[in-house]
Amino acid sequence: MGKLKPQKDWRWFTISKRIVEAYVGEYASGKSEVAVNRALELARAGRKVNLVDLDIVEPCYTLRPIKKELEETGMTVLAWETRDTVGLGEAGNIIKPECRWALYREGDVILDIGYGVEGAKTLNLLEGVEETPELQVLAVINAKRPMTSTVEEILDYIKELGPVHGLINNTHLGDETTPDIVQEGARVVSEVSNILGIPVVATTADQKVTKQIGPQDCMGNTVRPLVRYMPRTFW
Amino acid sequence: MSEKPITGEKRAFMTGNEVVAWAALAAGADIMYGYPITPQNEIMHYWTRQIPKYGRKFLQTEDELSAGFTTVGGVLAGLRAFTATAGPGNTLMQEPMSMAEMMRLPTVTIVQQRGGPSTATVIYSQQEVTLTTMGGNGEGLRIVYSPSNHQELFDYTIKAFNTAWKYRFPTFVLGDGYQAKMRESVTLYDPAERGIEMVPTEKYVGKPGTPGVDRDPGHYRNTYNTEEELFEVLQKHFADYEKMAPEVVEYAQEAVEDADLVIVAHGVVFRGVRDAVKELRAEGLKVGYFRPITLRPFPAEQLKAVANKAKKLLIAESAQGQLARLIKDAIYGASAEIVPMFRPGVGITTEQIVAKVKEAL
Repeated sequence: MGKLKPQKDWRWFTISKRIVEAYVGEYASGKSEVAVNRALELARAGRKVNLVDLDIVEPCYTLRPIKKELEETGMTVLAWETRDTVGLGEAGNIIKPECRWALYREGDVILDIGYGVEGAKTLNLLEGVEETPELQVLAVINAKRPMTSTVEEILDYIKELGPVHGLINNTHLGDETTPDIVQEGARVVSEVSNILGIPVVATTADQKVTKQIGPQDCMGNTVRPLVRYMPRTFW
Repeated sequence: MSEKPITGEKRAFMTGNEVVAWAALAAGADIMYGYPITPQNEIMHYWTRQIPKYGRKFLQTEDELSAGFTTVGGVLAGLRAFTATAGPGNTLMQEPMSMAEMMRLPTVTIVQQRGGPSTATVIYSQQEVTLTTMGGNGEGLRIVYSPSNHQELFDYTIKAFNTAWKYRFPTFVLGDGYQAKMRESVTLYDPAERGIEMVPTEKYVGKPGTPGVDRDPGHYRNTYNTEEELFEVLQKHFADYEKMAPEVVEYAQEAVEDADLVIVAHGVVFRGVRDAVKELRAEGLKVGYFRPITLRPFPAEQLKAVANKAKKLLIAESAQGQLARLIKDAIYGASAEIVPMFRPGVGITTEQIVAKVKEAL
């Protein structure tokens, strides 16, 4: 599926080597939430982490309100500050140079790639993709979105994304999410995984919901609790 | 190819722009005409991603003037046609929509307001109220819905097609950039399954038969030779509009009966107002809200009744008094004092409203 080779020995919890992950997905799939939580998890484990906002169309709306708080955990957040983007307007936003070169940074790199399906193409703008064999592109799937709600739809959708190494079942309905909704998503995403031979890296959900589900979902995928930061952001 | 886009009720999580695209699909819209502008772009993106499956159409034009006029053309051809725009695009859209007003064409336009004047900001404001309600070079012969959440974006986009085709006035759904981009749950449904019948469309031009022989000629005009003729035609339009108004007007109000102060707000700002009223009532303060859902026609009588009872009306809007202008016109002569809370181009939170009410009481 393209130029990125999947890492056969890759594990979600590998802590010995550098972790480089790009989170892609539809609007409202939960990319940013999953990426922020992943970055925090790695930072708390004492790792050097770079969290990169790569929404190049509407930068800084997602991470801006929580940027300072994230930085206080010791991680580096590469994202535009509001004051730096003043003056650009609709004439065009530019990719922050340090984001473009983020893959060359020391430590783990978590890329939060915004702007829906088109956003996946943002990877083409990054320097060093070829030299980063550890790069894992993870597709965040919310099966409660109409265009990714069935196996067929998700298969079509992933084909549009380009190379993908892992799937994350982040099926949710915002505050209305229940364990049933997450499990329903787990079944759909696991079937996609079987068809494509791409692993389900994890099922993610709000802490309250994951507590009810337990450490594994109904398909045996690892369940990762999320602390929800996005309700405090713009979207 | 032309299967139904939605069967059964579906709870989904998405952005407001996607909701609009799905609503247009569910409403059986035949074609969208459009020109890209933030923050409405994803309406086009999601419409065009979906339509190959359902046999619908899209035309990207060279600008909003053209998008508006092609929407007019689509309607003349009997298509359930719509367009979407924002900000300076909405400015350009006014010329074709004035034509639709004069010719009584049921165009549907989604507006996702952004900051102004001019290009300004791409994200949010409520500064297109005056433009969307009264922006034509005429008399505002149009219908404007102001939804406040994703469910309403879905419901009122479907409704807009029916109101437009039933009464034959151009109809607008006035959202904003926050509603466009926000992620929220929504129940998608097929209108037919809810008992909502889509008003059938009808060709204006290209009908079968010979005009004047087999059928009345269709004489749809936006140009008149004499002042008297225009005057006469307009009187008929005004009469139709007035007759329609009570059937179309929508509003919501709560806790206004004994209220000392009533907050008036529309669209996304209403969300903060609703919560503020809950909070203030819990503290024992006599505060209610009035929310116009149609900004054209405006629920004038209903608000005037409220304004004759309450001591004060606090008008909260993300504009410098554009909603207030509609209100003052509607309640002229009423006794309530008007307290402005104008924050042009920026959001208004529950906390800010609560603080402002306490200051005003």
